[in-house]
Amino acid sequence: MQLNADVPNNDTTAPAPGRWLSGQRHLAGAALNLAVGLGLAGGFLLIWQAWLLARVVNAAVVEGTPLDSLWHWLWPLLGVFALRAVVAWASEQVAFRAAAQVKLALRDRLYRHLQALGPVYLHGERSGELSSLLVDGVEKLEAYYARFLPHMAITALVPLAILAFVFPLDWVSGLVMLLTAPLIPLFMILIGKGAERLNQKQWRQLARMSAHFLDVIQGLTTLKLFNASRREAQVIAAVSDAHRKSTMAVLRVAFLSSLVLEFFSTVSIAVVAVLIGFRLLFGEMAFFQGFFVLLLAPEFYLPLRQMGTHYHARMEAIASAERLIEVLETPTPKPPATPVAPPAAGPFAITFDAVAFDYPGGRRALAGTSFHIAAGETVALVGPSGSGKSTTINLLLGFLQPGSGQVRVDGIDLTYMERDAWLRHVAWVPQRPRLFHGSVRDNIRLGRPEAGHDEVERAARLAQAHGFITQLPQGYDTPVGEGGQGLSGGQVQRIALARAFLKDAPLVVLDEPTASLDAESEALVQAALERLAEGRTLLVVAHRLATVRKADRILVLDEGRVVQDGDHDALMAAGGLYARLTAAYRGTEVQP
Amino acid sequence: MKDLLRLARLVIPYWKPMALGVLIAFATLVANVGLMAVSGWFIAAMALAGLAGVTMNYFSPAALIRTFAIVRTVGRYGERLVTHEATFRLLSGLRVWFYEHLEPLAPARLQQYRSGDLLSRIRADIDTLDNLYLRILVPVAVALLGAVAVGVFLAWYHPSLALVNLAFLTIAGVVVPFVLQRLGRRPGRALVETNASLQAGAVDALQGMSELLVYGAGERQAVQIRRASGELIAAQAQMSRLSGLAQASLGLGANLTAWTMALVAIPLLGSGVLERPELAMVVLFALASFEVVMPLPQAFQMLGQTLGAARRIFEIVDARPQAPDPAAASPVPSHHGIALQDVTFSYGPGAPPALQGITLEVASGRRVAVVGATGSGKSTLLNLLLRFWDPQDGRILFGDHDLRSYRGDDLRRHFAVVSQATHLFTSTLRENLRVANPLASEAALAAALDVAQLHDFVASQPDGLDTWVGEAGLRLSGGQARRVAIARALLKDAPVLLLDEPTEGLDAETERQLMRALFRLMEGRSVLLITHRLVGLEAMDEILLLDRGRIVERGTHVELLAAGGLYAGMHARLHD
Repeated sequence: MQLNADVPNNDTTAPAPGRWLSGQRHLAGAALNLAVGLGLAGGFLLIWQAWLLARVVNAAVVEGTPLDSLWHWLWPLLGVFALRAVVAWASEQVAFRAAAQVKLALRDRLYRHLQALGPVYLHGERSGELSSLLVDGVEKLEAYYARFLPHMAITALVPLAILAFVFPLDWVSGLVMLLTAPLIPLFMILIGKGAERLNQKQWRQLARMSAHFLDVIQGLTTLKLFNASRREAQVIAAVSDAHRKSTMAVLRVAFLSSLVLEFFSTVSIAVVAVLIGFRLLFGEMAFFQGFFVLLLAPEFYLPLRQMGTHYHARMEAIASAERLIEVLETPTPKPPATPVAPPAAGPFAITFDAVAFDYPGGRRALAGTSFHIAAGETVALVGPSGSGKSTTINLLLGFLQPGSGQVRVDGIDLTYMERDAWLRHVAWVPQRPRLFHGSVRDNIRLGRPEAGHDEVERAARLAQAHGFITQLPQGYDTPVGEGGQGLSGGQVQRIALARAFLKDAPLVVLDEPTASLDAESEALVQAALERLAEGRTLLVVAHRLATVRKADRILVLDEGRVVQDGDHDALMAAGGLYARLTAAYRGTEVQP
Repeated sequence: MKDLLRLARLVIPYWKPMALGVLIAFATLVANVGLMAVSGWFIAAMALAGLAGVTMNYFSPAALIRTFAIVRTVGRYGERLVTHEATFRLLSGLRVWFYEHLEPLAPARLQQYRSGDLLSRIRADIDTLDNLYLRILVPVAVALLGAVAVGVFLAWYHPSLALVNLAFLTIAGVVVPFVLQRLGRRPGRALVETNASLQAGAVDALQGMSELLVYGAGERQAVQIRRASGELIAAQAQMSRLSGLAQASLGLGANLTAWTMALVAIPLLGSGVLERPELAMVVLFALASFEVVMPLPQAFQMLGQTLGAARRIFEIVDARPQAPDPAAASPVPSHHGIALQDVTFSYGPGAPPALQGITLEVASGRRVAVVGATGSGKSTLLNLLLRFWDPQDGRILFGDHDLRSYRGDDLRRHFAVVSQATHLFTSTLRENLRVANPLASEAALAAALDVAQLHDFVASQPDGLDTWVGEAGLRLSGGQARRVAIARALLKDAPVLLLDEPTEGLDAETERQLMRALFRLMEGRSVLLITHRLVGLEAMDEILLLDRGRIVERGTHVELLAAGGLYAGMHARLHD
């Protein structure tokens, strides 16, 4: 079996896509071998059929045998036909199964890997491109496992079987076949090299097109505001035209290679036919042998000819596998070797000890930040944009690991805890919460899908969300989607707060919890937050005075450092950044 | 059927290359069948001549074989090239056509769709349509021509041969595809739907990953993705069973035809109807003739999938915009003032009214603020002014003309909007600014950056205005993104400025700086500021307090404070 037809890649860091694809074969289980077995069985049936057919034609043409005396060949032919149909059907099923198992397993692995890489990685990548990798990229592997792999084996086996029958009958034709056969894959590989490069370009083009379309769709309202949405039609035209061109470039090579293959096999069959013809004419050969070999000749070259098509399928899979490998080979944050369980019960004390963090590219986000939050304390984190608040949160949530220094929970270094185990004790409301496809209820129950209606409603009431939810057309069962369309920013925020209330975690992290709430609701939510803070540690990234003033303590971040630490009155008295921020908040300095 | 005709009509502009493709394909088909038939006859004739010890003219059949072989190989190449090129041009055109219908629907009609779903319509669904053109339209045309050629050729020998061959071709080319199409309809639709739902699930999962992880829903989402993936594969499995069936029945059909033709032809041998070598020809001709119908069953099996995709495309194309453009040209506004007269609006039948009996005026060059809590109807006001929706009751006037008499584009030309939801495109900063005005000069860009206080930030970037931003680029902070919005508004230079929570979610220091930039922007423009923050309201000519869709207080900052109502209460809480 010639399954490892892959050219080794010079790149030493990542596995060669061909070898990698071949390495995932075990995921298909026995189905692949069964597909090859069925293919071979089909080959033998084909030879048998040609033999019977040649017998019938030989008897009728050469010997003038009447129909009545041919039934002992004609009846078995019907049986062979039926068997071939069954084998053809079964091959398709088995090959599909092989690919399906690989696709299922790889898609699952890819998604879990992305999950392990975490949200910070996804931010840097285009989510449109990655989601198309997850769906279409994995889909593209199908042809490799369902067609290319079984076919490579069949390509090697069936022509050999045919040769085994042809040689004893007619060694001349056998020799022609044997000599011409290797030329076909040779030419194919020569052409395939160029096509492979084109194919990778094509895949990138497709990914770029997806990302562009997603960008436009998500920004359509913005485009519309600037009357730019009609203009965008031209860009769409240009992008899809570029896609057409690169697709055609790939196809042209593919068509050309099948042209070459077809040409060679046609010429080879012609040579076989001519040699047979003249030997027949000169009486050096019996018609039966000649006709039998002639029937088999196209079947001998057929799998070789189809190699072009299947090789093309392999290239498509390879291009997509490259991206898959790239993502799958991105190392995930190492889970601790001997994980330490998070403290059994909250509230937790949190310590940042000289934590520094640089983003790739060198941007310094935190420069040796140290602070301590006592168990059960409510601490507000304030600071201008870019002061390192988001990084602090990402470190605390375990989405980032400190470059140096430690983040400790009740004295335990966070890097010794498994991320998911730690997150079980944390509730989080981000700046722009996301609502997932499902009902309002499902969204509130995100952290506790088993929660009953009473609990959901209680959480919603605490988050000041119950009122508007009951006014929705289907109440708690109202479907909501991506971006919380149909709900205002404040309503989405309150559903996210309800999530946090329902989760009932000992550590709560809130990023601007009162954003887009008016002063009145802000007061109500504030009261709710105070209730939430009872018996819990609460870290609030806040810009709102009302939130900040109720905090036990305020940490003021500036350029990745804690520059002030104290309660509202103390910090106001001290002057400095906090006092400036507060003054700005009250609007006293804003004058037209 | 209606959908099918509609799809077929879309191909009309491309009929010439398509027709050329059909002709080349037909020539290829004739060459291929001819090659097999002549070769069979040639071998048999040579054998008989050899047995009889006579010689024969082998030059003409050999020349025929050569010609057929060349036409066959070159023809297939040419046909593929021509039809694929035409089809991809068509698809590219369809994408633009789809987008042009999608665009007027935003945002009102598109709320119910997930962007991942829309993405799969404009990309995957349109790609699926190639099936119709490459695998249905062209092959059906070729099959019709081919069947006629087969019939004529065989009838020339004996009508019964033609009848048998055509009967089998009809079964394989009409009955089998019809049955498969019926069987394939449901899995085909399921295939499109499961693919879209997996796609949408993937976007949801990847963009919302932080929350999924914190709420321990990562595993559940993984299971859900796996289930969606499994559903897609189940739909594919059904399709695969059918295509296995198609393949098996075609092979069986071809063999049975050859077999039956042999039964019919053998008694005819030597009777003067058929020469003996012609039996080999007939048998091989019958086998090869199946190429006429070979692509059909598979194509019709995919018809369900194709039509499913087509329906999803037509669903968008046929949707009427919420606020349709008038047929007549837009009026020219006599001034840049806005007036709402007793406007009432709700988002759908049964939905509670978002605005009730709103009357307000923003005279040319005046500044009006609408203050209210979340859900009080502030954003709705903006949606109505931009004519994303039309009110059910009352009138909105701009420059003394009803908003309904303006085409959406013409109306929005007069408005610049700074809102909390500013989409940054994955592109350079320059391109993101030029969204507002593609012709903006470098000087204009620099001036806008200056007013929006983005100048220093841009200067600090190594690539300056060519810094890549958006999802795949530099992530701007909330304040910076808002400044981009302000710069865009400046570049647009429209007479009316609509500010929707322009400082939402920003820290106080940033907010203060941003307000300064905004005041520069307000100069000489009619301004409607929508906010819940009591910042900068002293500078407004009028303040309206909105509560649950109604205006409950109105006056200037000073008047409202003096009145001691809700507004005064809000203000007091801020400054206690």
